[in-house]
Amino acid sequence: MSNNTLVDVKNLSVHFPVYGGVFSKRIATVKAVDGINFSIDRKQIVGMVGESGCGKTTVGRAMINILRHVAPGVEIGGSIEYHFGDEVVDFAKLSSSEVRKYRSRVQMIFQDPYASLNPRMTVAQIISEPLQLHTDMNNKEQTERVGWLLNKVGLQPEQAKRYPHEFSGGQRQRVGIARALATNPDLIICDEPVSALDVSIQAQVINLMLDLQEEFDVSYLFIAHDLSVVEHISDKIAVMYLGDMAEYGNAQDVYHHPRHPYSKALLSAVPLPDPSRKNRKRIVLQGDVPTPLNKPSGCAFRTRCPIAQPSCAESKPEFKEQAKDHFVACPLVEDN
Amino acid sequence: MESKNMSEQQEISLSILKKRWLKFKTLRRGYYSFIIILTLYILSWFLPILINNRALVVSYEGDLYFPVFSGYHAGSVFHQDVPGEAVYRELKAEWKQADSENWLIMPPYPYSPYEDITVQGNKMFEEPSSTHWLGTDNTGRDVFSRLCYAFNISISFALILSTLNYFIGILIGGSMGYFGGKFDLIFQRLIEIWSSLPMLFVIIIISSIIRPTFFLLIFIYTIVNWIGMTYLMRAEFYREKSKDYVAAALSMGQTNFKVMFKHILPNSLVPVITYFPFSVVGGITALVSLDYLGFGMPPPTPSWGQMLDVGLSNIPKWWMVFAPVSAQFVTLIMVVFIGEAVREAFDPKVYSRLR
Repeated sequence: MSNNTLVDVKNLSVHFPVYGGVFSKRIATVKAVDGINFSIDRKQIVGMVGESGCGKTTVGRAMINILRHVAPGVEIGGSIEYHFGDEVVDFAKLSSSEVRKYRSRVQMIFQDPYASLNPRMTVAQIISEPLQLHTDMNNKEQTERVGWLLNKVGLQPEQAKRYPHEFSGGQRQRVGIARALATNPDLIICDEPVSALDVSIQAQVINLMLDLQEEFDVSYLFIAHDLSVVEHISDKIAVMYLGDMAEYGNAQDVYHHPRHPYSKALLSAVPLPDPSRKNRKRIVLQGDVPTPLNKPSGCAFRTRCPIAQPSCAESKPEFKEQAKDHFVACPLVEDN
Repeated sequence: MESKNMSEQQEISLSILKKRWLKFKTLRRGYYSFIIILTLYILSWFLPILINNRALVVSYEGDLYFPVFSGYHAGSVFHQDVPGEAVYRELKAEWKQADSENWLIMPPYPYSPYEDITVQGNKMFEEPSSTHWLGTDNTGRDVFSRLCYAFNISISFALILSTLNYFIGILIGGSMGYFGGKFDLIFQRLIEIWSSLPMLFVIIIISSIIRPTFFLLIFIYTIVNWIGMTYLMRAEFYREKSKDYVAAALSMGQTNFKVMFKHILPNSLVPVITYFPFSVVGGITALVSLDYLGFGMPPPTPSWGQMLDVGLSNIPKWWMVFAPVSAQFVTLIMVVFIGEAVREAFDPKVYSRLR
């Protein structure tokens, strides 16, 4: 761990208990996230990919500590240590009132720009809300800051008086970005920020986010299921499967030399606009993702893994640094 | 320059509520009903100077009196030979006949809802005429003036009742939906127990023990009626809290209270507002039925229910049934028109049947 680390996620697990029966006894546990490790440095963009339901979004929500609001019974294990200056704050352990004063340091951009902006508030009200909470700016300063932010994200300050329904999806997402940037956070968790947008708009928004990342010196945790987007934007890539982390390393390494069989299959599915590679071999996985209610023993991926061995069922594979900065949770590929 | 102003005007953004208000205005039936009810209700607060048996101004031997505001003046003050309070209508006639220097100004409709047969000149069961527009009842009280005063009481009762119900219902239902879990579970069970109380009997029992007043009736109705709203609000808050804008507000550190009332509530007002007129209808009917059964407002408070009761026991005197029934009918149907138009205005579909 270097001095530059912004957040260090150690052995993070998020379990949702399931109650049922006459006496509402606990009958099962959804292991949405089951012991993952990674870290994000300052000014770094970490991409997180995986299929639907693999726990990417849950990781993001755990990292801004709002899971307890959504699901009061949730069990969060491990630690999410933020390094704000000299302060080390563990978001996994703080209660929601204790975490409030650090809220301005970690912000979030949501997937659906139609749902993430309150339809009853004007853009000015939406963006100035974090300012009211975390700064002592007066109304005039807030208006100025809102105008400045709107300018930064490519909207006109005059549009501040409008309501979200008067904007297109891309414009709304820009408003969401402006809101996330309002308090100069250290980390922005981007929960599939472009997957609800039109392809032509996706590129604009991603490039805008890249520009703003340099300007605001902010880190991103970029959650997506589109690998080509993630490769374009990220410094590091984390691949998740069924609540576990399959692979984590530098973007180039993971994208071009994936080690984990799941990453390989995922990457072979990325469409490439390159006719010369038309005959590229696609790895098609068999079957569906198992339910997180009843995960396979040992390696979670073994039921669909093309190279699975009987030994895979015995114990959970170690998440091991197989090459420099390249962590893989599969002992079978260690020797390549 | 002019065109620039035009485009600027068009660019002014409308909040959703404002848009709905504009749409409401285009629904003529509901909008006019709203205007009429609102005007009548505002007017009804000035009833003491519009419909009253006390004079507005009396000039007697050089002194000015304002009985509407100052209240009781015995007949002897004006040298009138009546027991108790002066009868200003008679005074006016007397002074006019005697061509006296004294004068007085009566309200436009000089009969109060409380004066009865004991007051000089009043008769029982008078048929509608130009003096008594809707006749008089079994104790010689003017039906029209009672009708008007009862309108004020009915609407006020329904409005206060609905508002209180909404306030409590939103607070409790909203918290249940927002916090969920054990809080929700416990309150849901409490509400189920509470709602199984036979409310009409409770009110009848309480009314027969204590003499009910306006606010006591509201209180009794509220402790049973807030339940209906909690179901709606619980569902609304439950649905809204899972939306991303709530997560966004929480992730920037907004308190639960602010999230509930600044973010979620404005987005869950649709059932509240569309249901409100119908809740008012319910309030009016509730008071009428209680008064009709004799467990409502204490006599001689003017009320439609009591008038209906008297009317039905004297059915050949048609005006005493006709007046309260038609007043009620017109009021309720106008409130329902308002309710329909509100619901229509909140309907996102552009084309509608009601227009």
